[in-house]
Amino acid sequence: MQSPGLGIRLLALSSRRLAAAFAGMAVAVVVMFVELGLLLGILDSQALMANLVIGDLVVVDEARSNLHKWDTMDRVRISQIGGVAGVAASIPLYQVPMGLKNTDDEAIRRIVVLAFPATEVPLAIGDPREISAALSVPDNVLFDRLSRPIYAKIEPGQNIELDGAQNRVAGLVSIGPDIVNDGAIVMSEGTLLSRRPNVRPIMGIIRLSPGADLEDTRARIVENLPNDVRVYTPREIRWREIAFTLRSAPIGILFGIGMLAGLVIGSITCYQILFNEIVDRLEQYATLKAMGFSEMFLRRVILEQAILLSWGGFLVGLAASWLVYLYIAGETALLVRLNIVSVSTIFVLATLMSVVAGQLALRRVLNADPAELY
Amino acid sequence: MLDLSARSALNAASAEGDVAVRVVDASFAFGPDASKPVLVSIDFTLKRSEFVILTGPSGAGKTTLLTLIGTLRSVQGGSIVVLGTELKGLSPAGQREVRKKIGFIFQDHNLFDALTAFQTLRLAMELAPVRPSREEALERSHVLLTALGMGDYLHARPGELSTGQKQRVAIARALINDPPLILADEPTASLDHASSKRVIDLVRARIEGQKAAALMVTHDNRIFSAADRIVNMMDGRIESVRQESKRQI
Repeated sequence: MQSPGLGIRLLALSSRRLAAAFAGMAVAVVVMFVELGLLLGILDSQALMANLVIGDLVVVDEARSNLHKWDTMDRVRISQIGGVAGVAASIPLYQVPMGLKNTDDEAIRRIVVLAFPATEVPLAIGDPREISAALSVPDNVLFDRLSRPIYAKIEPGQNIELDGAQNRVAGLVSIGPDIVNDGAIVMSEGTLLSRRPNVRPIMGIIRLSPGADLEDTRARIVENLPNDVRVYTPREIRWREIAFTLRSAPIGILFGIGMLAGLVIGSITCYQILFNEIVDRLEQYATLKAMGFSEMFLRRVILEQAILLSWGGFLVGLAASWLVYLYIAGETALLVRLNIVSVSTIFVLATLMSVVAGQLALRRVLNADPAELY
Repeated sequence: MLDLSARSALNAASAEGDVAVRVVDASFAFGPDASKPVLVSIDFTLKRSEFVILTGPSGAGKTTLLTLIGTLRSVQGGSIVVLGTELKGLSPAGQREVRKKIGFIFQDHNLFDALTAFQTLRLAMELAPVRPSREEALERSHVLLTALGMGDYLHARPGELSTGQKQRVAIARALINDPPLILADEPTASLDHASSKRVIDLVRARIEGQKAAALMVTHDNRIFSAADRIVNMMDGRIESVRQESKRQI
């Protein structure tokens, strides 16, 4: 038998005890996953529009400090940008709230309407050709299939009432709600302007000509336009949105405390399990000390147990968290999902938490007096 | 406090090869300010190839003397040299090195319930100066356990063994690395006569074959006759020493 196996053998001796230990650790892992998942889900949902953009640059009004601040820009800026060297297309994106009548209970509920030219689809929300074809018919709209179920069931081919006007649902797209908006409808720029002639774009999405340099083109846009717009890459605006959300709302602190609670629960659970394990075998550990085994050896035995607890609990917690995420995503339609960031973060935290708990529990072993064995 | 020349002299004497343990004017006390003396001015020598039994009433100081020789407690007064090493002022690392050369047999087996008899012995073999291969470890374990009447229990866990069988595994653990010094506390308390005889025969074989020394605390008078000397302790002092001539139990 190799010594690195001793800790694992000791912990694995009773499968029932091991399962209970894993379950205890898994609770802490699930708490951390849920907290981190909600935080990342909210941040992702808040930056949703930036993630959907199909373009190289994004232009917004200089007063629009975040994507949920609906400051619009002058429509002429879109045309001006279109004339800048290196720009292949400058596409306006409109975002306005409208009232959608629920066909079941007749209640009118707020919904976000996104609009753009039918010939240029600037968002990754479905097949661009199908979207163009559907929106090229006046008064046709596309319904976001990920909308929260407060608008009744809406199927392609049916008519819906938007701000008192009839529209035909020509198809479905995939956008998703955030913590403010429950759902979305997409229509063509022409259909929107026929209802609201004075509406202004909320964003300009720019596609560069083949071979055009992004930074050079951005510099030319800034140079040629008045100082009432800001130019970003989609990636920049996404991070600006995340930073703004973290800065303006205390969700980072709230969910951080939640994660800390998970860490504390996990550490206490791990410590308690290891402590009980050590106390039950204190005479055996003291015997090892009497025989001449080093402190390092004893550390390794306890560390093995801590790591086994941590990784076993992590795997059980990961599986449970996946189910919890499915439930939360289903109920809230937020972008709560496991990704490499959340999985690696929780894995590292779970490992650290067990190592710290193991070090604390180790003191009991190091204090064991082999002279008491006689 | 010994001066350096005295310490060197003692080390030199031990290094001559015939002394396993030399205790000179050793004292030990428990409690605050060492207010409860347990050992008072003990002088004692254990030679290689010698089997000594320590006996005496409870509280006489036998076990305390055993723990001092085993480096499980620190020497307070006097000098104790074990296998050529002066224990007084010895660092923890130095104490560990001495302990690795000692085969400890405790009254309780203290076996890990997760380990089979072989795994227990293999763990102990990690302390050997040269760690044997798995095959060699298996062979050595089998031979030793067979000598203790446990050859069929190589892969048994403590849960599958009787108290006496567990104790024999613990004894095998103490002897597997052929230690030059064996310290035992009531090793035969949980053994029947036949098993006790096997254990004592094995210890004697180590003493005679490998020039090991054994110091055993016991009240089991069935094994007194196997010892070379019987040291009787009383109130922290050595009261009498009896030379034994018979070596059969």
